[in-house]
Amino acid sequence: MSLNAEIAESARFTEEQLAKYVIDATKNVFSTMIMMDPSDEYPLKDPIHRFQCSITGMVGFAGIYSGVISIHCPVALALQITSSMLGMECDEVNEDLNDAIGEIANMLGGSVKQVLSKGGMDVKLSIPTVISGEDYTVNSLSDIDCVVIPFSVNDNKFLVGLTLKKED
Amino acid sequence: MANILIVDDSSTMRKIISRSLRQAGLTVDEIYEAGDGIEGLGVLASGKPVTLILSDINMPNMDGLEFIKQVRANGNPVPIVMITTEGGEEILKEAIASGASDSIKKPFTPEQLQEKLGGLI
Repeated sequence: MSLNAEIAESARFTEEQLAKYVIDATKNVFSTMIMMDPSDEYPLKDPIHRFQCSITGMVGFAGIYSGVISIHCPVALALQITSSMLGMECDEVNEDLNDAIGEIANMLGGSVKQVLSKGGMDVKLSIPTVISGEDYTVNSLSDIDCVVIPFSVNDNKFLVGLTLKKED
Repeated sequence: MANILIVDDSSTMRKIISRSLRQAGLTVDEIYEAGDGIEGLGVLASGKPVTLILSDINMPNMDGLEFIKQVRANGNPVPIVMITTEGGEEILKEAIASGASDSIKKPFTPEQLQEKLGGLI
C-alpha cells in the first residue's frame, strides 16, 4: 500500500515523510503514555483489510485535508495497552478498552494534524470511533491510497494507517 | 494544595492525568471529573471549590474553547490549562485569548505536568 503520488505531491509530503510522521507519532505516544517501545516494520508488504479478534480506533480529518488515521491491534495487545494506560488490570473488552484505544487514535490524529495544519484551525479532528469484533473488514470507500505502518511490541503486531486527501 | 477539575471526554485520559499529577509530586486535595464542557460547567455551578481546571479542547457537546468562554462569561477567574492533542498555534492562541492560562500537549510526561502546573498548585 502506498500513498498516491499525486496526493503526496499536492500535500507537499512524500510517502516516506508521512510514514516517518506516523512512526514517530506512534512511538512517542506508546513510550510516553503506555510505557511500551514498539518497533516499526515498515513497509507493509501486502494490504490488510480483514481483522480477527481485534479492535480498531479511528479519528477523521476534515478541512483542507480529509482522511482517517487508524490503529488496528489484536484484543490481547489492546488489553495490555489498556492495563498499562490505566495502571490496573483490564481483562475483557469493555468501555475502558474502547476508550483507551480511541484515545490513542486521538493522540495520533493530533500529532499528524500538527504536520498538516500549522495553525490548527483549517483541519478539524473528529471524535474517535472504535470498532471491535471476532472478524471484520475495514475499507476506505473512496479511492484514497494510504500509508500503513506495521509495528511489533511484546510479541504482538499492530498496524497504524493514514489515509489522506488534499481538498480543493 | 489544589482542587482540580479535569474536563476530558476520555475516561482513560482523566485517569492518566490524575495518576500523572501524583507521579509529578503535585499535591492535590480533590479531583473532580467531567466528560465535556457542559458537565464541567455543571461541576462549577454545583459550588465545588475548584482551584484549577485542566481541560481538553476536542470534546462532544461543548468543546474546550466554548467551555473556557462560558467559565469566563460567568465571572469565574479560576486558572485553566488546556491538556490537548491540539497543538496548532491559532487554536492555542484562541484558547489563551478566551482565558486559558497555558497548554500542555498530549502525549505528556509527569515531568511536563510538573513544569507547567507546579506554579499553579
